[in-house]
Amino acid sequence: MSDDVLGAARPVPDWGVGVGLRVPHYRHVLDARPAMDFFEVISENFMVDGGKPLHHLDRVLESYRVIQHGVSLSIGGPEAPDREYLKKLKALVKRIRPAWLSDHFCFTGVPGQNLHDLLPLPYTEQMVNVVAERARQVQDYLEVPFALENTSSYMAYRQSHMTEWQFVSEVVDRAGIGLMFDVNNVYVAAYNHGFDAYEFIRNVPHDRIFQIHLAGHTNLGDYLIDTHNGNIIEPVWDLYRATIELAGSVSTLIEWDDEIPAFGELEALAARAKSIRSEALAVRAQRAQDPAAPSFALGKTLVPTPTAASTARPSWNQGGPREAAGLDQDFSSGTAAAE
Amino acid sequence: MSTLETSGNGDFVSVQEWLVKQLQRDRFLPKQADATEGSELHLTGNDRLRPVDQLEIYRVQFWLRHTSAMLDDYPGVSGILGQAEWEQLVESYLLACSPTSYSLRDLGDRFAAHIASRPVTPHQDLCEDMARLEWAYTELFDAAPAPPLDAAKLAALPEEAWQTARIVFNPAFQLLSVRYPVAELRRQLRNAQSHPDTEPSTVAIPEPEAQHLVLYRDRQLRLMHRRVGAPAALLLRHLRAGQALVPAAEATAAELPEAAAEVEAQVGAWFQDWGACGWIVDVQAGD
Repeated sequence: MSDDVLGAARPVPDWGVGVGLRVPHYRHVLDARPAMDFFEVISENFMVDGGKPLHHLDRVLESYRVIQHGVSLSIGGPEAPDREYLKKLKALVKRIRPAWLSDHFCFTGVPGQNLHDLLPLPYTEQMVNVVAERARQVQDYLEVPFALENTSSYMAYRQSHMTEWQFVSEVVDRAGIGLMFDVNNVYVAAYNHGFDAYEFIRNVPHDRIFQIHLAGHTNLGDYLIDTHNGNIIEPVWDLYRATIELAGSVSTLIEWDDEIPAFGELEALAARAKSIRSEALAVRAQRAQDPAAPSFALGKTLVPTPTAASTARPSWNQGGPREAAGLDQDFSSGTAAAE
Repeated sequence: MSTLETSGNGDFVSVQEWLVKQLQRDRFLPKQADATEGSELHLTGNDRLRPVDQLEIYRVQFWLRHTSAMLDDYPGVSGILGQAEWEQLVESYLLACSPTSYSLRDLGDRFAAHIASRPVTPHQDLCEDMARLEWAYTELFDAAPAPPLDAAKLAALPEEAWQTARIVFNPAFQLLSVRYPVAELRRQLRNAQSHPDTEPSTVAIPEPEAQHLVLYRDRQLRLMHRRVGAPAALLLRHLRAGQALVPAAEATAAELPEAAAEVEAQVGAWFQDWGACGWIVDVQAGD
């Protein structure tokens, strides 16, 4: 249980600032054991029977706190989440013992077809009911606090009749789950759909934010894509400041999934996040004493203005390189021929 | 748990089904009249992008993501074919076999069968064998672990137990019979692909050569292959099918009479070797 300076309680602890655990960093993490508040793993990469993925995971668990983040629950799919998938997810929960876990407000396909993408949902009362019911059941089944993440989106449905922040707030409230709040996704969606990012941030249930995600994105001019590569831009850091001021001390994670840099670069981003967090918490404490004190969140507006594309169209992967991406480099010669 | 049902708000299931179908198309959606019409019906667009342009963002990503994953998992097949033929093959595969699993790891589970059913693929038999090899590596990579063979348990087995005892194989073990030396070819192709100065096309396509390959994960979790002779391969097949060691050896000798003496002479050494390599992890006394 975490109590912040205003006494607001959330059912998960504040674990500080962590980074996503990705294949290119395994050797450094396991050999050097760098200081890190926590790691986040992509659940699906470890929902396997054995081999290197679980070997590496177990070694990391010896020294670090680990959180699970999923990409395939498909909470808004035509059918309820797959029971076999949930069984495997629960087995992983028993192995990792995370303080909470998360997935996304999205669907990934239809029965028998999985597109491995986070496809957006319509913001309707009907979808609130469906997602809230399923999310509550998932949380009960997994027996661990569960959160859903606001996604980046590149299209919007005519069916939608509420804002995204109204939708996620309704689901979180009705289901009794948490919000995995991705600040970069707020910025990307604000750019792509032309709304005020600060209005989004001010209007979600702050005491239900279990964790915050920070990441880079790619500017294609007419739209942004949530590629999780490159640095976090300044407006996103500003949105993070505002979120911490409103939500208090919430665990924060740096995601970097493509063109992954040296671990030191992620450590530097984590250090910056810690610094901004401290700054925003100080403002929060000050405003608790004096509501008229300056705020990072109140009175601000940001409807991102389209700018020139920064790159050609990239592809993006949810969760970085797959575990088997390192398969070939694991091969070596022996008495038998290693492939 | 719930099923997403229709309501006065509209049937989102039908929108989902439409979306999933559109995103797997192999054509530029803005040029497709039906895609444009459907997009305008379901999506809003904005002042920069028409509804169909928004849909196209997701369609492009479907293809980039899945062709990239296939290239990661099948460097051997792609190396044999070269870029143009490889792209045609993967496109035909993804059109014929929608991804079904939540995990991209399973994306290629029907690839070898697809190659076998698509006679226009150059080097078809070679590509099929290579795809089988590469899928086997994918399966071995994260197969369940198994404790090593217990030497004390083995030593305690009475002689007569070998008539009925069942041999338990490591889950990270596969036996593959191929028509081409694909394991060696894959190694050459991977070496060429990892050296920027070497073109994979410089690797020669080998002549047919029937081989029996044991593929396994060793105790250091490395993926290994070893070529075995026909008698050993046949014996392994009988053991994998559930026969006890003595009857399996007898069946092997009967089916390969020219190798009967070799089987009789070698079976003890083979068994020891297979246990030491971790291929065999237990011997369970029979009834």
